Amino acid sequence: MQWLQALPILISVVLGIGLTILQPGERKVRNAYIMGSVMLTAGLSFAAIIAAGMADTAPACTLVRFSSEFSISLRIDGCSMVYGAIVSALWPLITLYSLDYMSHEGHESRFFGFWIASFGVVLGIAFAEDFLTLYLFYELLTLVTLPLVMHFMDEKARYAGRKYVVYSLAGAAFAFIGIVFLLRYGTTLDFTYGGVLDLAKAAGNETTLWAVFVLTFFGFGVKAAIFPFGAWLPDASVAPTPVSALLHAVAVVKAGAFAVLRLIYFGFGTDFLRGSWAQYAVMTAAILTIIYGAARALRTPHLKRRLAFSTVSNLSYILFSLTLMTPAGLVGALAHMVYHAVVKITMFCCAGSIIQKSGREYIYEFEGLGRRMPVVFGTFTVSAFALIGVPPLGGFVGKWMICTAAVLSEDPWAYFGIGALILSTLLTTLYMMTIFVRAWFPVGTVDHEALSKIHDPGPAMTIPLMVLAAAGIVLALFSAPLIEFLQAVSLNTL
Amino acid sequence: MSSFLLLFLVFFPFLAAYFVYPMRRRGREYRNLYVRIIPGVEIFAALLLLFAPGTVVLPQLCGLGLRFEAGSLHTTMAVLAAFLWLMTALPSKEYFADREGVNRYYCAWMMTLGALMGVFLAADFFTLFIFFEIMSFASYVWVAQNENPDALRAGQTYLAVAVFGGMMLLVGLLMLDHLLGSLVFRELPALVAALEDGRRGELLAAGLFCLTGFGAKAGMVPLHIWLPKAHPVAPAPASALLSGILTKSGIFGILIISRYLLFSSVEWNGVLLLSGTVTMVLGAVLALFSVNLKRALACSSMSQIGFILIGVAMQGYLGEDNVLAAWGTVLHMVNHGLIKLVLFVSAGVIYLATHALDLNELRGWGRNKPALKAIFFVGAAAIVGVPGTSGYISKTLLHESIVEYVHHLEDIGRFAAGFQTVEWLFLISGGLTAAYMTKLFAAIFVEKRAEKQRFSAREYMTPATGLAVGLTACLLVVFGLTPWVSMQVIAERSSVFLRAGESHGIFRYFSWVNMQGALISLCIGAAVYLLIVRTVLCRRTAEGTVYLERWPRGLDLEELVYRPAVKGLAFLGAMCARTAAGLGDFLVVAGEKLLYLKAPGIFVPKKNENFGVYARKPKRFLIGETFAFDLTLAGIGLVGALTYIFFTG
Repeated sequence: MQWLQALPILISVVLGIGLTILQPGERKVRNAYIMGSVMLTAGLSFAAIIAAGMADTAPACTLVRFSSEFSISLRIDGCSMVYGAIVSALWPLITLYSLDYMSHEGHESRFFGFWIASFGVVLGIAFAEDFLTLYLFYELLTLVTLPLVMHFMDEKARYAGRKYVVYSLAGAAFAFIGIVFLLRYGTTLDFTYGGVLDLAKAAGNETTLWAVFVLTFFGFGVKAAIFPFGAWLPDASVAPTPVSALLHAVAVVKAGAFAVLRLIYFGFGTDFLRGSWAQYAVMTAAILTIIYGAARALRTPHLKRRLAFSTVSNLSYILFSLTLMTPAGLVGALAHMVYHAVVKITMFCCAGSIIQKSGREYIYEFEGLGRRMPVVFGTFTVSAFALIGVPPLGGFVGKWMICTAAVLSEDPWAYFGIGALILSTLLTTLYMMTIFVRAWFPVGTVDHEALSKIHDPGPAMTIPLMVLAAAGIVLALFSAPLIEFLQAVSLNTL
Repeated sequence: MSSFLLLFLVFFPFLAAYFVYPMRRRGREYRNLYVRIIPGVEIFAALLLLFAPGTVVLPQLCGLGLRFEAGSLHTTMAVLAAFLWLMTALPSKEYFADREGVNRYYCAWMMTLGALMGVFLAADFFTLFIFFEIMSFASYVWVAQNENPDALRAGQTYLAVAVFGGMMLLVGLLMLDHLLGSLVFRELPALVAALEDGRRGELLAAGLFCLTGFGAKAGMVPLHIWLPKAHPVAPAPASALLSGILTKSGIFGILIISRYLLFSSVEWNGVLLLSGTVTMVLGAVLALFSVNLKRALACSSMSQIGFILIGVAMQGYLGEDNVLAAWGTVLHMVNHGLIKLVLFVSAGVIYLATHALDLNELRGWGRNKPALKAIFFVGAAAIVGVPGTSGYISKTLLHESIVEYVHHLEDIGRFAAGFQTVEWLFLISGGLTAAYMTKLFAAIFVEKRAEKQRFSAREYMTPATGLAVGLTACLLVVFGLTPWVSMQVIAERSSVFLRAGESHGIFRYFSWVNMQGALISLCIGAAVYLLIVRTVLCRRTAEGTVYLERWPRGLDLEELVYRPAVKGLAFLGAMCARTAAGLGDFLVVAGEKLLYLKAPGIFVPKKNENFGVYARKPKRFLIGETFAFDLTLAGIGLVGALTYIFFTG
């Protein structure tokens, strides 16, 4: 039974490698193989999550044991469920979208081979039981997604790929330092709610440990694009759109946030960190990133880059909420993780459709496109409102939870965070509205002839869009069960 | 019954909005009929709600749950909203006959109705906030509807103010939630009473944040900037709704805060009184100087909002004896909604025929159109407060409440000069109202016809439009003549929600004492019109009177302060961000230069446009060449950590 949680990870990696070796020539066969693999992995992953949810104490599954302290092992707890479920729900949808999208881009076997394998690796991060396992899959994720980023292999893509790898690996190296210290001063490397530090050992070395925590935070924060280490993310938007949508809005960047979550709540422990200068250092970084990302997004005319900067900003909402170091902060972070994932992935998919169908990438070229592509721009508009945080859509619930947590923490520094959230909402409104306002309300002369050739893409692309947009609305409207679940997770009372 | 009606009123328009496009596909006529039926159904439901007060809670929705309540002011405002929607649906067909993107307008129009119902029927601040935000964004479409640069710019302003207000409101509500633990209106007074004295300051701060949010929507100075910009560019039916009822949603919020949270706070009432007075006077002055018909009406709305805010403040000052102030506030809200419907829809009729809003081009257009003349006259008289119209009743009540407080202060021997000033400013603003409405009326309906005027061949007003404005104008007169059986009933019903005191006997609306205020205002108005408008603001020429734009063009709060401030801050922020963001890249590049200094076959590009290092031989797999660097970095981290362990362990 406990092997169930290892199955989706192993199977998807094997199937992914299989695709790159087999290289099926027939499109139908290949598509069936890809969809089959992804659906199988997602099914197994959900089965594992549900099984873990039913069991009283989730069993651990040790894959490899090196010594009494080191092992590669998996266990699904509340946070794993949330992250694992987001990923497993979104992956099949985006795969459906990208089967159509990638048919114009070439090298599909290579692309989808790594695509399927990275699904397993992300699940590995979600299901990891200890820091060593997390670290292993974290490094693997960088490597396995690199070919996806560099898919076009032109100068821009190689540049972006290199930047991505340099930043990620260097960050992981910093994170490694933290893991060593946790081993040295902690009781175990297994994730323990409330932290693993042995306070007797730590006594006297608090300053060192706080410094190491800050290093580790920034190390993991690189993937979550924390300022000033987020520069790789906008550049990585040269990747094919499904990659930007799934990896650079959900899987990879949220892996960074997820690792930070593990670090704060299950590694160093909130009791040890709360009130220290280390907390204020990382909180300040998150607050700065919130504003930085939003401000840069406003100044960026390229659609996908603008969305990437917006991701930078929104990821730091999550990081800010985590750095509040209270259970309520954890709820806020997880809630925003869910809502941002659904919303941003929709927007990237819309962006992909716009770029593919119209060949236009800069937002000043979108004049009058709304009436030609009603489905794409309709879903985009709904998602943009959700991102802005117009109630009752998704972003609002996340923001409300984060703001409430910040107020509840009664920390004066956190009030600056609320200010930053509000400023960023204002900026979000501006940078989002400028994308679609001109599309719906064209001003001046519009080239009707050029426009008349543009139309909505086929159902393989529009269905995922509509499903995602609808999911965003439903999740937000009926958010009470989700929030209750997250609250249970945050108190470790699942 | 009431729970069904409540949910129906709020959610039905959202549902109905979805079907605008399908109806259009069946035919334009179907769509036009459809958009008239929906508000008709709404007003029917709203009227039924009069007989079915009650509450409904949807605990599962939107995280914290939604709560709605019917009864008292909730129902009054819901009926008013539905009535205005129906009355703007009638002229819309004519107004939008040859326009583009009408379905989009109707879609947003219905969603705004639903959102507005949500605001007025909300039983807690959370619900109110949710629908308030939806309303802000849905009504953006109205402002931007005409798709020209002016409209988009006004839309920008509208949106910026709305979002800023929304965020301030959110801050205020978060503080309240934290402070009191509940946002349900009914529970608030008890919670506030139980609050320890040391935290009153926080309560006031939260209230002021909320005031910023609600005030932005209401058009309170200094957040009024969107009003004069948005109205001239929006379609006329939308302008009527924007100023007639959307601004009232802001007032509604302010009312709740002042009646349920800060009932006896002197500072709060002072802020309200001050901002109300400034808004009232400034709006009237701006309207007097305006030569654009719709801009003048928009500034007039601002001024009337000031009157209402003074009423809200007086309710707080008067404490137990505030029943007249409460009545005046509610009635002026209702009246202003109806009056602005008449005036803006009339302006729309004029615009449709002439395609102009400038008074010099409109001059004399209405000379031979008695029906419209009469209707516009009633609207103008009502907003001025001429006895016999509904405006007189509400303004008299508001005036009376100030007078009452002045007497109260004199009785207890306190200094009353401040309130006497407010009273005089109140009367002077009433006078300015009379002056600018006379200016508009005289320009359009009395003066000699302008030469280069466009004449449309068709009838200038369809029966449906005539019915909408005519019916509303009749209502204004009927209300004004029979206050005891019409307006007072509305006021009594509504002021229960405002927790007003008991009324003492019958108020004599038409007694000489109460007439005096209106007459003083009218005299001031006549004086201002003759001495200022006829001399400074216009010039007599051979072709007739020419109205002059005397307001300095540069004197615009938005252009002078807000936009430069935002731009400056953005520039500063971008500069800091770029500098700091370059740091990471700089470190990596410096590190690379160091590491690859003498490696064979590899070069560092001189100009760092592409950041990084490329192999000279592109055939080799890229990662193999440069992966070393990444491993080195990882290795440095590893070595550092291990060294530390060895030396300390």
